Amino acid sequence: MTTSDEFDNLTTPLETSTSPALKFDVLAKCSTTKARASKMHLPHYTAHTPMFMPVGTMGSIKGITTKQLENLDCHVILGNTYHLGSRPGPELLEAAGGLHEFMSWNRGLLTDSGGFQMVSLLRLANITEEGVEFENPHDGKKMMLTPEMSIGLQNAIGADIMMQLDDVVSSLTTGDRVEEAMWRSVRWLDRSIKANKRPTEQNLFPIVQGGLDARLRTLSAHELIKRDSPGYAIGGLSGGEAKDSFWRMVSLSTDILPDNKPRYCMGVGYAEDLVVCSALGVDMYDCVFPTRTARFGNALVRTGSLALKQGRFKNDLGPIDPDCSCPTCKNYSRAYLHTTVTKDTTGCHLITIHNIAYQMRLMRDIRQAIVDDRFPEFIREFMSIRFGKTVPKWIISALQSVDVDLTAVDEKTGYSATPISDDFQKVPNM
Amino acid sequence: MTGSVRALSRKMTLHFELTGANAAVGVASGAAASPRSGRLVLDRSLNSEASAPASISPSASTLAPAAIGLETPTFLKYTRHGLQPHLVREVAAELSDMPACTRVQLEDFLEDDGSACGQHDAGLHNFVFLDRSEVLLLDTLDPTVTRRVGKSTNSFLAIDSEGGTKRLTPEVFAQLVDRLKPDIIIPPADYIEEPLPSLTQGKRISKSVTRSAKWLDESIAKSVYPSAVFAAVMGSHSPELRDISAKKLLARSDVAGYVFNDVSLALPFERKLQLVQHSLAQLDASKPRYMVGASAPDAALRAILGGIDLVDSSYPYAVTEQGFASTYVFGGEGAAGEIADASAAAAAAGRLDLWQESMFNDFGPLVEGCSCFTCRSHHRAYIHHLLMTKEMLSTVLLQIHNMHWYKGFFADIRSSLARATLAEDAQRFLERYSSSSEAFGELETLATQENSPTTKIQRKRHAEPL
Repeated sequence: MTTSDEFDNLTTPLETSTSPALKFDVLAKCSTTKARASKMHLPHYTAHTPMFMPVGTMGSIKGITTKQLENLDCHVILGNTYHLGSRPGPELLEAAGGLHEFMSWNRGLLTDSGGFQMVSLLRLANITEEGVEFENPHDGKKMMLTPEMSIGLQNAIGADIMMQLDDVVSSLTTGDRVEEAMWRSVRWLDRSIKANKRPTEQNLFPIVQGGLDARLRTLSAHELIKRDSPGYAIGGLSGGEAKDSFWRMVSLSTDILPDNKPRYCMGVGYAEDLVVCSALGVDMYDCVFPTRTARFGNALVRTGSLALKQGRFKNDLGPIDPDCSCPTCKNYSRAYLHTTVTKDTTGCHLITIHNIAYQMRLMRDIRQAIVDDRFPEFIREFMSIRFGKTVPKWIISALQSVDVDLTAVDEKTGYSATPISDDFQKVPNM
Repeated sequence: MTGSVRALSRKMTLHFELTGANAAVGVASGAAASPRSGRLVLDRSLNSEASAPASISPSASTLAPAAIGLETPTFLKYTRHGLQPHLVREVAAELSDMPACTRVQLEDFLEDDGSACGQHDAGLHNFVFLDRSEVLLLDTLDPTVTRRVGKSTNSFLAIDSEGGTKRLTPEVFAQLVDRLKPDIIIPPADYIEEPLPSLTQGKRISKSVTRSAKWLDESIAKSVYPSAVFAAVMGSHSPELRDISAKKLLARSDVAGYVFNDVSLALPFERKLQLVQHSLAQLDASKPRYMVGASAPDAALRAILGGIDLVDSSYPYAVTEQGFASTYVFGGEGAAGEIADASAAAAAAGRLDLWQESMFNDFGPLVEGCSCFTCRSHHRAYIHHLLMTKEMLSTVLLQIHNMHWYKGFFADIRSSLARATLAEDAQRFLERYSSSSEAFGELETLATQENSPTTKIQRKRHAEPL
């Protein structure tokens, strides 16, 4: 596996920003869509974007060593503050010299604020101006996570990028609550910035909120920009909302957020979502999907995924993906994997390795296509393989908004697609 | 081609020679039950069928070596679905100087319809991506499973599985051998379930001796591929019936080695070893002996002292599954290997319990001075954290250390044997760990365990363990 080298010939940034702990250089821009390919210089590593960050919840990625992660070309991985804050806890992490030292990972780390997990995992999460009140699952005591405490935990973890604690509402919520949460998140951002004890070593990203309301999202984005942060996240999405609303909120946010800073869309991981959001100007993504689905024996491919437990793979002697050069695809057949997925940990590891490699390769291909200024062509190739003749309508609309029209017949390949109303199409329609 | 002609045309690709002091002693019966140094050599080129691999793994060495030599006593690498537990190949590659022999059990791959590995026909090495420079031994059953419920008949060995009982006939076994092309095979034998040995009637044991001999015959006669045959010595706890089994094997010219597998026999290990030694006196001492169920360090040492040449590495796996790191020391004078932890608690039971609260903020390596990948890259606090959060990386890292440690143990044994000090060194080792009732009991604990510590993958258990 080679390390990304898309930018070898590009040294002059088209856009650039310098923050105390982050330098962002946009080195290539798509001349059609809003996509850009950039280098993000972090304290521990220089990452290439658009980039996908695998999630290593508690300080490891499901049985994969840090050496393997390097070989798979991961640049930044995610840790969950809620889990790490409980175990092993901030004192130990500080004593260990931070999470990088604790887990022997030399590249980039990003931590979330802990808020989302709290709200989704715990009962009685009661949100007040002070913070998020919850019941400790171990002893039932009432506890509080404030912006200051979240930053304190994240300072102890020591990741290159930290996320503000935000007042997260479900994307399906409507009414006054959404606006209340948006303004509170801005106030919590300011408290978080003040609480950051390591501004020259750790970056703090605000999170654009506002649900599915364009007015609120616009207000939120403009407020956050006033804080002149090193980068910005787009949050409160990927929660089951209609994809047509999803992409509009993403695009609206990237229109407002500054070009010379990274934009991070949280919780996005399906391949088609990564392609579309990159066309809308997003630079960073995270999602548990690739590693989680690996544990159920599902291997990611350009047409979707292969459920290797199924009987039809018993005699399939080819690799998961003939174009993939990960260790799993180079050495093991689908038939072999069929015998061991969900039965041995090694079976799980083999698929996890492939799925991470798949995501990394996809992002490399996206970056290369942007650098070569053939991203629209790449998008069409990708969609034709992934979906075939029919493509979910939201994807067609989103791409049309950046001048890529999948319904128009491609001169060179003859490919065109018709829209279907479903948000998700599992297999290609050939 | 008749069965006997096939047997004659099976040119031996596997040879065993005694080395060191034993070579001079030769095969005198007094040496049968004594420790010996040896060299097991697989030379596929001696048989044209064996030397032509159906295909070569892309990442394997491009030329299969002329001959593969293994210094004994040593261990076969225990695998599940052809891979060492928890270790994909690039991680297993962190282990250096491992003996180039791997054991695979057919039950991992057997389908309900008797097939295995689908229609793959490029050999088992290729299917599990094992380098051709490895000796591959194909056994039927997983040595860490001690209780089974399926009942065998004259025609088939019953194998428990999730979907019910699978049936393995010698004919199916032979067909699989021809397709999988392993270097060494242990044909199916009628291993008896004996939780209460006193209850097992002589008739049942006698039946198992007859059946196993028949299955051995048919497995060899019906297969063409010239795998070397390691035959199981049967007879359970009956010395007389063991003699009958041994005599049958001694009469055969097509048996390259002997296997002793009494894991399902609930007798103390000492007694089982006595029975093995009883059989050894009846067998050809120039042939290698593999004892299944003698993987733990104390058992392996006793077995080796008793004349056994091969065991397998299921023990380190059992240690890993408890969340322990091996620390046992076999020191003779000038012993190789790393320095064990100085703390008394760790020393007493030959392992370090990573679950302990005291590991929480211990930033030292598993064992100070250990050169394995885990000890060079990580500390105890991290591995403790991984166990507490049920992360699979914990068992990956522990398995690397435990296999590395096991390999060092065997290197020390061979050195001790070469210096002719094995008896004293072994005595010292056994005494050192005799004070702890828990030392080396991880395989027994494994048999009672429900799940792997970090995943929800259920351990196969079809009956209450012995």
